[in-house]
Amino acid sequence: MTRSPNSSGSAAAARRRARRGPGSRMVLNLAPMIDVTFLLLIFFLVTTTFKPAEGILTSRLPKDAGVPSAALPISPVVVRVSQLDPAGQEYRINIDNYTRRPATFDELAGFLLDIQTNPGFDARTPVVILPATDVRWDHVVNCWNAAVRARCENIVFASQ
Amino acid sequence: MSMATRQPRFRPAAGFNMTPMIDVVFLLICFFMLVSQFASAEHMAMDLPRPDNSQAVKVKLTDRVIVNCVLTTPASPATSGVYYSVGPLRVDSLEALSARLAAAKAATARLQVVLRADRRVPYRFVRGVMDVIAENRVELMHLVAHVGEGVPR
Repeated sequence: MTRSPNSSGSAAAARRRARRGPGSRMVLNLAPMIDVTFLLLIFFLVTTTFKPAEGILTSRLPKDAGVPSAALPISPVVVRVSQLDPAGQEYRINIDNYTRRPATFDELAGFLLDIQTNPGFDARTPVVILPATDVRWDHVVNCWNAAVRARCENIVFASQ
Repeated sequence: MSMATRQPRFRPAAGFNMTPMIDVVFLLICFFMLVSQFASAEHMAMDLPRPDNSQAVKVKLTDRVIVNCVLTTPASPATSGVYYSVGPLRVDSLEALSARLAAAKAATARLQVVLRADRRVPYRFVRGVMDVIAENRVELMHLVAHVGEGVPR
């Protein structure tokens, strides 16, 4: 009696089933994958810190290393920033030749915007920021930012 | 055969359905992998200025050098000194900073300097850096600040 290859195959499968026993199934062991996945998750949870995005405020420096070669053609708006307390939280803003004194940098931006409507002033009027030596850098950048908000195109730093 | 000794033909297997949990875990991993930005050594950790209604913009710059101005003892900023770094390399004095900037300027004519200073640093320290930058004929300097408003003070 000859046996076909097909019948031989089904017999082998039946033998394998008999070896495994009744009701056994092939299962994939997921435990290592879940271990690694949780390790990755814990790593990211622990190491991730969300920080605010940082950006830049551009300033163009003079080509002659800061030494003015000629007097400024128009009288600039000179903004002085000084510190009121040793901790550096409180500050004062003074503007030369103006009695109006902005209390905050928001008000300074409004002032610089208003001044551009005066005759002889526009966005190209130089704004000179003159911080005191002990004032915090935060206030200096805030002052620059206020001038940028007021669409001033000609902002410079100066030293007292 | 009595009813008490009869066994059920199919006994349901007791177990957790892990699929939803694995789905969520994979989603979380994907989220963290996408939002993670690994800190660059050039961008030293510091408390940057937070202007009101910040006009600072995020720009990718080429031909730039990052100068950091960091407090030595951030816990007591009023009495603290500062140190500087050009990129990840710390420099101990303004003269050394100037030498590094001069070398960078010699290599790249259109050099731009990105100035990152801690918000609590007194202006006199940053002014020294700005003087050095101007002495080295750098035409563009960028002040780094937080972007956007709503950052708590």
